[in-house]
Parts: sequence; C-alpha cells; structure tokens
Amino acid sequence: MKKAILYVNQFFGQVGGEDKADFEPEMREGLVGPAMELDKQLQNAEVTHTIICGDNFMGSNEEEAVKRIMDFLEGKEFDIFFAGPAFQAGRYGNACGVIAKAVHAKYGVPIISSMHIENPGVEMFKQDMVIFPGGKSAAAMRKDIKKMAAYGDKLLAGEQTGTAEEEGYYVRGIRHQVWLESKKPAADRVVEMLIKKLNGEEFQTELPIPKLDRVEIAAPLKDLSKAKIALVTTSGIVPVANPDRIQSASATRWGKYSVEGMDRLEGGVFKTIHAGFDPAAADADPNVCVPLDALRVYEKEGVIGKVDEHFYTTVGTGTTQGEAARMANEIVEHLKAAGVDGVIMTST
Amino acid sequence: MKLEIGNFYVKDIVFGENNSFENGILTINKQAALDFVMEDEHITKADLVIVKPGDNVRLVPVKEAIEPRVKLNGKTLFPGVTGDVTSAGEGRTHALKGCSVLVVGQHWGGFQDGVIDMGGEGAKYTYYSQLKNIVLVGETDEEFEAREQQKKNKALRWAGHKLAEYIGSIVKDLEPEEIETYELAPVTKRAESVNELPNVVFVMQPQSQMEELGYNDMVYGWDMNKFVPTFMNPNEILDGAVISGSFMPCSSKWSTYDFQNNPTIKRLYAEHGKTLNFLGVIMSNLNVALEQKERAALFVAQMATSLGADGAIVAEEGYGNPDADFIACVVALEDAGVKTVGITNECTGRDGKSQPLVTLDVKADAIVSCGNVSELIELPPMETVIGELEALARDGLSGGWATDEILGSSVKEDGSIIMENNAMFCGDQVVGWSTKTMKEF
Repeated sequence: MKKAILYVNQFFGQVGGEDKADFEPEMREGLVGPAMELDKQLQNAEVTHTIICGDNFMGSNEEEAVKRIMDFLEGKEFDIFFAGPAFQAGRYGNACGVIAKAVHAKYGVPIISSMHIENPGVEMFKQDMVIFPGGKSAAAMRKDIKKMAAYGDKLLAGEQTGTAEEEGYYVRGIRHQVWLESKKPAADRVVEMLIKKLNGEEFQTELPIPKLDRVEIAAPLKDLSKAKIALVTTSGIVPVANPDRIQSASATRWGKYSVEGMDRLEGGVFKTIHAGFDPAAADADPNVCVPLDALRVYEKEGVIGKVDEHFYTTVGTGTTQGEAARMANEIVEHLKAAGVDGVIMTST
Repeated sequence: MKLEIGNFYVKDIVFGENNSFENGILTINKQAALDFVMEDEHITKADLVIVKPGDNVRLVPVKEAIEPRVKLNGKTLFPGVTGDVTSAGEGRTHALKGCSVLVVGQHWGGFQDGVIDMGGEGAKYTYYSQLKNIVLVGETDEEFEAREQQKKNKALRWAGHKLAEYIGSIVKDLEPEEIETYELAPVTKRAESVNELPNVVFVMQPQSQMEELGYNDMVYGWDMNKFVPTFMNPNEILDGAVISGSFMPCSSKWSTYDFQNNPTIKRLYAEHGKTLNFLGVIMSNLNVALEQKERAALFVAQMATSLGADGAIVAEEGYGNPDADFIACVVALEDAGVKTVGITNECTGRDGKSQPLVTLDVKADAIVSCGNVSELIELPPMETVIGELEALARDGLSGGWATDEILGSSVKEDGSIIMENNAMFCGDQVVGWSTKTMKEF
C-alpha cells in the first residue's frame, strides 16, 4: 500500500484556535482531524502521519518551521503529500503552499491542496501545486477532501490525467498542446470565432490573456501649496505594538495611524513588521520608509498645503495582487473622506 | 477575378515507362524527371523516392513542400520564381490532389529545415504524413552555406518548384474529376445581399525577417523583407503568387503547399455571401525593427478601414519576435474598430510555464492557438531514413541539438530521436490545418 502524509494547522490539528496559532510543528503518527476523512476517501494509499503547525508559527518563523518539518520527514516513506483543505483561511493557505512546495522540491512527490477562491494562497501557489477550489469554511470539509483524494488516487494509480478544466483544479498558467477530439481544424475554429465576434455572440478564446491592471499616471496637482498630501506605504511601518496585527508577509490587513502633532515618526514608537528586508535602519528611523519628517518641512515652507492627519500602512512582501487591490480600494475611501489631494506611496 | 482549380485525386504514385495519370494512378518516368531536375547546374546529385502514409520512413532535413500543378493559360506556376513575372489567380489551374513534392537535403540541414515521419506515433505531428509524396533528395554546389546554420536552400527549393510544375503538367490536357471555382467580384461591384453582410479581411503575416535577401517568403518573386502591406486577391495566393521562404523555425513555417491550399482562405470563401463578405487578403509581413512593425500595422489598419472591414483574421508565420508584429497588428485593427481574431502558435517552454507570446495585449481577446513550439517529443527509430538523420543534431535545426547535459544528442545511436516540436516540418499548421490547441494543465 502506498503512503500519504497530511499537513494541517493548529485548529484542524485539534490543538486549539487563534490562541494556539503559535503552536510549534509536530508530526503525529496516524490520523488527526481531516486525516481521518482523507484516509477514508483515499483508495490507493493510507495516510500514515499528520503534521500539525500553528499558522502564526509558520507565518512568523517560516524558515524554522519548514526546517523542523523537513527533519520530521527525513527517512519517512511516502508517495504523496496533501495539505489542507485551507478553505478561506489566508495564513493557513500560505502555510499549505509553503510546506507543500518545500516537500515537492526535496522528494518530488505529487502535492495537492484545496482552497477557497478568495484564499490568497491560490494566487501565490497555484503554479507550484495542484489546488482544488474549496468551500469557505470547514462545512465543506468532506466535499473538498473528496476532490483531493480522487485526484491523488488517479496519480497514485498512474492513470492519464486531463487538463486543469477537466480535473477541476485552478488553472496555473501551465500550457501544453493537445489534439482536439473533435479534430476541428484551426481554419474552421478561427472563422467561426470571427463570425461570433462580429455578431456579438459569446466566443471562447484559446489563449486567454491575463488582464494587466495598468493604472494611468495621474494628472499633476494644480497647486501643490494648497494640496493635502497623505503618506501610504507597503513597508510595514506600524506603532510598535502592531495594534491591527498586520501580517509580516502576505498581508491581508492594513492600518491607519495618526501623525497629528508629530514632526517625525520616532524609533521606539514606530517600527516595521515587514519580513522581506533587514529592519534595522527602518526601526531606528521609520522616516526612511514613511518620510513624515521631510513632508513636515515642506508643510512649514508652504511647498505643500497640509500633511494628512494619518498615514496608511501594510506589508507588500508576498501580498497578492488581488489582496493589494482590495486593501487599496478600502484605503482610497478614507483618503477621499479626508479630502486628500495627493498621495506619496512608498515601498521598502 | 475567377480562378478554377481542376482537381485530380491521386490514389497511388508509381515509377514507370511513361509519365501518365490514369484511374487515379500517377506514373512518373523517374529518369526523365531526374534529367529535368539536373538541368539546373547547381544540383549536383538528385534522387526521387515515393513515400506514402503509414510507411516506416523518416525524412530529414525537409526543406519545402509543393503541390504539383500546372496552369492551362501557359503562364508559369510560380510567377517570378519558375518563370517570368506574370499574373496569378485567374483562369484554370490543374492540381494533383492528395500528394506533394517534398524537397529533402541529402546531407545538410539548417535552422529552417524539419522532420517528417510518414508512419508511427510521429506521423501526427505534421500534415504531410497524410499525403503521398514524391520526395526529391538532393545535393547542391552551394558550398558557401553547406555548413551555415541559416541556409537559403535556393537550388533545392527552386528545383522543387520546377519539379512540381513538371509533374503537374502530366494532367495539363486531361479532364479533372472536379473543378473548384474561386471568384470574388470587385469590392465595389458586389450584390447588395453580399454587401450588407459583415465585411471581412484576412491579414497574412508571412515570414520576412531576414535582412539579407534570399531567405524570406516571396511574392511574385519579390523578397518580402522589402515589402509593405498590400491588398491582394485571395486567388493570387491560392495560385502560386507566394512561395515559402527558408528562415523560420520549422513548425511555424508555411510551406508553398500551405499557401496553395490555405484552408483559412478556403473557409472564408465558403462563408462568402452567406455569413460574411470576404473583401480579400491584406498581405502584410514580419519585421525586425519596432518602427517597421508599427509601420506595417498602420498600413494594415488603414487598408482595412478604407475597405470598410468590420472584421479581420490575422495569421502570423512565426513565434517569438514576430509575436510583436502579430499583437501590434491585432491591436491596430481593434483600435480602428475592426473586430479581430488572431491565429498563431505559442512558445510556453518544455514545462509549459512560459508566457505564451512575447507580447500580450488584452485587446487580443480572440485567438485560435495551434500548438507549442517547444513541446519535447521522443520518437522511436524508423526503418528507413531519407536524407540524413544526423542533420537533426549536427546542423542546428531549430528543434534539434548536438549535445545536452541531461538529454544527450537529439539523435541516438539506435536511430531514435528526441527533439522539440520546433523541428516538425510545418508542424503547427497555423495556415489552418491544425487540429491541435493549447490547454491549461
């Protein structure tokens, strides 16, 4: 009998909820939580081990978490690796992707997960692994695991697998040539597509082009000396307590913090929680990322009218384009309400 | 302009005493045909071989394919190539159907040459495995390019064109089994019922990117590198006005046979007067410099607009750099309000993960895709090789290689091969034969 191993987070590993999110990785023999359902559904392999790791532990100590899990796997025999289902849980989706990718790189075994379409893990990892569309919450557990197991069984049996569309997993930008069963020549396909396009009927392109969201460069401000300017950043500068618990990577949260009465952002009061660069300089002087100090000088000199009462912040590293756009749209509403005329956007 | 193509369906090809066509059997006097080929002093050695679908035969390096034909009005089959510059696209042409003249190098191949397997699992990769083929295998005195990766292949290609006409003339005075008629009234003189249909142009982008002359596709014998887009009657293309070049990676190439039989033109003709009004062909080109690409796109969009086109099909003979011409042309047409569909192949890499075209634009929202040039193909040995198998590895064919750390040479000792689709002779069939598409995995 072939062997499978499953990765789950602290919640599905029955350790605990958000308060146990720092749970350090463990590998348990046998079946914990979703592993029971997976083992039941999976025909061509038995689930021998369940790996459990807290989402925050993986998020904040990725390298350490991966290392420990890879050590657990050392010498273990397994033919396939499952992670999740992660539903709509962003940190869990990220964790599934990180660990599955590492396992695949070392052992070359198939890796399979399931996530809800809004889980940022889909965008981040669909190129690296097969991810099936899943439900929003654990209510979909059985259904989601069924899909993962059925595809796993196919792979384990060495059966011919179909296209992403046929198998039902998220398309991942991996394109290969196939012969159409209909044997319909391209000349017919192209002329029929044109006729449909001309008649305003629906047609299906054979080469979908990803929509690039290009933003036009804005027109210059007419009078800078009267303009209200806001600072927005993806450098992860936050009050030292990180009150909104913005993630250090793959952020889904953003913060809005007052700068009223401040000439500059003081180190020790603000710091960066961004995990993608050496924080020493930014922690010592947060103005290198959010240049409030320079902007205050311009304000006094009358170069600009006013600095906005708040700055807006999140973390850019690993953050998906989809999440970034959502957060930006939310921030824009606040900027508009505050009568902001222009924004200085800084990264790291 | 009215063109009649009289079809003679070839059931079998044999060598015999006299050139003849009877009951579907095409008989060729081999020695007489070879004597005709050898009249060109640049051909130093030549042989003729007949291959049929299912034969355990591998052909490499394949340089050109031509349908044997003859014009009844006495004009040359390929104006400006096999004879004087005369008009094409009118009158009666007789064609031997289901067969082609294939031109194969005895030894030397190049970047632009390809592979054909007549049988086995490799047969599905090219159109020409379905045809009965008269294979001209030869050597030339073109020593200057024998070891060059890029070859003009002029002597062999011209020999093939002439041989196709020579064989075609066997049926010059016979009655064809059927006659296909291609006729378009002048654009301003069409019936109202036709005029009120959506007006459509077919934009062709033949390969013309080699700055040095002699490698590119030709129109009426004119090198298309020195060409700007021109309005043409589709009959001209079906009747020998354009010949294939000797430049593009082979699976992207359009052979002369492909031009003579262009299935997209034929399908547009079939729709003409029913679902659309086929205005004609805007013959464009492919370029190297950005300014040239933009100039060509401007010409095409202007002509389409001036002709009142509502829709267009754009086809490119190539991939990589030519994708920029292809997308620029689609975008220029869309910007001019012409609803456009593109037809092309893709280069997504052996792992399928690369961006499909060099340039992408959301305005190219309707594309028919015919294959992946970089798909890795492994094929077993064949009983017979016509040409020289080693050419695939040695001579820099676009889909072959001499050494690779992991895969070794393209040609194995037992005669099996490993190659990229790139080297399949006219394999992606962007002219419209392709039954391949691209899917997500």
